Amino acid sequence: MLNMKDVSKIYRTESVETHALREFSFDVDEGEFISVTGPSGSGKTTFLNIAGLLEEFSGGTYELDGCNVTNLNDRERSRLRNEKIGFIFQSFNLIPELDVFDNVDVPLRYRKFSSAERRKRIDRVIDLVGLGSRAHHLPSQLSGGQQQRVAIARALAGEPRFLLADEPTGNLDSQMAESVMELLEDINRNGTTIIMVTHEKNLAKRARRNIFMRDGCVSNNDSALHLAASSA
Amino acid sequence: MEIGPIWRAMSRNKTSYLLIAMQIAVTMAIMVNAFSIIQERSRMMARPSGVDEDNIFYLSSIGFLPEFDGRSASEEDLDALRRFPGVANAIMTNTVPLQGGGWSQGLRTEPGEEIESIGVAVYFVDEHGIDTFDVNLTQGRNFAPTEIMMFDPDANGARWPDKIIITQAMAEALFPDSPNDAIGRTVYIEDDLPITIIGVLQRMQAAWKEWSGVERAMLVPMKRKQNSFRYVIRAEPGYRDELMPQIEKMLAEKNTGRIIRGMTTMTETRERSYLEDSAMIKLLVFIVGVLTAITGLGIVGLASFSVARRSKQIGVRRALGATRPAILRYFMLENFLISSVGVVGGALLAVGLNVWMVHAFDLTPIAWYVIPTAMLILWLVGQLAVFGPARRATLVSPAVATRAV
Repeated sequence: MLNMKDVSKIYRTESVETHALREFSFDVDEGEFISVTGPSGSGKTTFLNIAGLLEEFSGGTYELDGCNVTNLNDRERSRLRNEKIGFIFQSFNLIPELDVFDNVDVPLRYRKFSSAERRKRIDRVIDLVGLGSRAHHLPSQLSGGQQQRVAIARALAGEPRFLLADEPTGNLDSQMAESVMELLEDINRNGTTIIMVTHEKNLAKRARRNIFMRDGCVSNNDSALHLAASSA
Repeated sequence: MEIGPIWRAMSRNKTSYLLIAMQIAVTMAIMVNAFSIIQERSRMMARPSGVDEDNIFYLSSIGFLPEFDGRSASEEDLDALRRFPGVANAIMTNTVPLQGGGWSQGLRTEPGEEIESIGVAVYFVDEHGIDTFDVNLTQGRNFAPTEIMMFDPDANGARWPDKIIITQAMAEALFPDSPNDAIGRTVYIEDDLPITIIGVLQRMQAAWKEWSGVERAMLVPMKRKQNSFRYVIRAEPGYRDELMPQIEKMLAEKNTGRIIRGMTTMTETRERSYLEDSAMIKLLVFIVGVLTAITGLGIVGLASFSVARRSKQIGVRRALGATRPAILRYFMLENFLISSVGVVGGALLAVGLNVWMVHAFDLTPIAWYVIPTAMLILWLVGQLAVFGPARRATLVSPAVATRAV
């Protein structure tokens, strides 16, 4: 459902060219839970941005759910992003002036769902992440773990084909991180494909497949990691 | 439409939005009332005086030698003026419309000082008065030469002639039930002196533009024996400016026992008369323009600050699927809501201010369409002001959402 072939990304200034991705090829099948690890500057975030259609790439081809995204205009990319992809960010990125309900509502409004449909979806996902009683709390009234759960609810509300998670537990203590990871695993078990960028090896091992990036390339594409972790 | 979430978000962070809304409200209140004043002044300035302003000029003749005979001098002057090439007609009179100084009297429909009189501006004229002022006689007739009374203030004689011509507005004031039947009716001056109305003029304004009875005037067929008088001269169309120095020279040379001064056109008189109103209009337009510009700049400032402060949020919205037009729409809508609060508050403030001004300064109440027009203007100003910052917001990359800072 996600196929990148020889994708490159070059950041250019007047005097410097930085190759953030070099002939990056990568396939994801439906239902996978993939972790992406690598040192700082290895291109993880650039990969995530390109996979999530947040940035354009310099070369190569990228197909998302059968759609070649290479020549899509901004409006088409926005629509595809809204319909197919759910984002979970390290710093939650909730809108501070909106309560839980309205935060989850944001992507649904761009989808132009009816009010009743939006309400139904919001209620469902808020219950799913265990925050049904806090629908009208502001983000500032929630703990970090709860805020990340709201972000997950927001990502799931549109029923995307896959989730892109950027260090989803990076700002959480271990207990909250564990509960968020369990939630992501549940979501994956229910069929949603997840690609998770993380620098924590123990979390990466919980994915079914791990790719290790270095210098903008896939250095290791190891589906055995999960098995190894499980058997250990 | 995202009105609900935008409104709720604004209500949780309302100080800056309220300040702008208040600025819009104050601007609107001032704009509406300034417009109302401008409208009233413009309406006043646009009133026709009824006379041929383009071709009339006037001057004063002041005799200073003891042997100066005003009566014979005026007869000779008028004869010379009427014969002068390019002069359509000329009279001796006491004042002209809008000049600022003149005579007034009270007329009654019944004799007796207990009967309330109606004020009227007085123009002393002869049988050339109607033609010289070029006023429109709609009913009745002009004075005959034999009806012109010579008045000597030092002699014991009749103080007023027995015939007058009045304006239509005066006829309406005197006879509200039958203003068109004024001809032949008797009115009373100085309590009990009867005068018959022989003609009605369509319009001729008084000398005082701010007088509530400015449209009430009467022509009195009288020449007063005096050594200082005013000549009103109507030139043939297009000859006025050419004639003025020639007339001045001719009169000065004709009789050296007097001086000629105060040569003025009716056009200048109108301009001078409405100088304060004209200046007031310019000042109000300037103030409203500056206020509107300041409000617009305030909105630009708030929106620019808001876009800069929320660039991460904009990136997140873009990442969640907002298109560029959706981001543009968000900020335009947000401003529309702020402006709406401002213009609704402004409308209430404007009405309150107007009610006070109507009582305090005797102004006309605001016309019904002024408030919606001002609302539209301020909505438009708000939308134009926010467009630039909103457009910059659309350029925020969705990749901002994944940046750490």
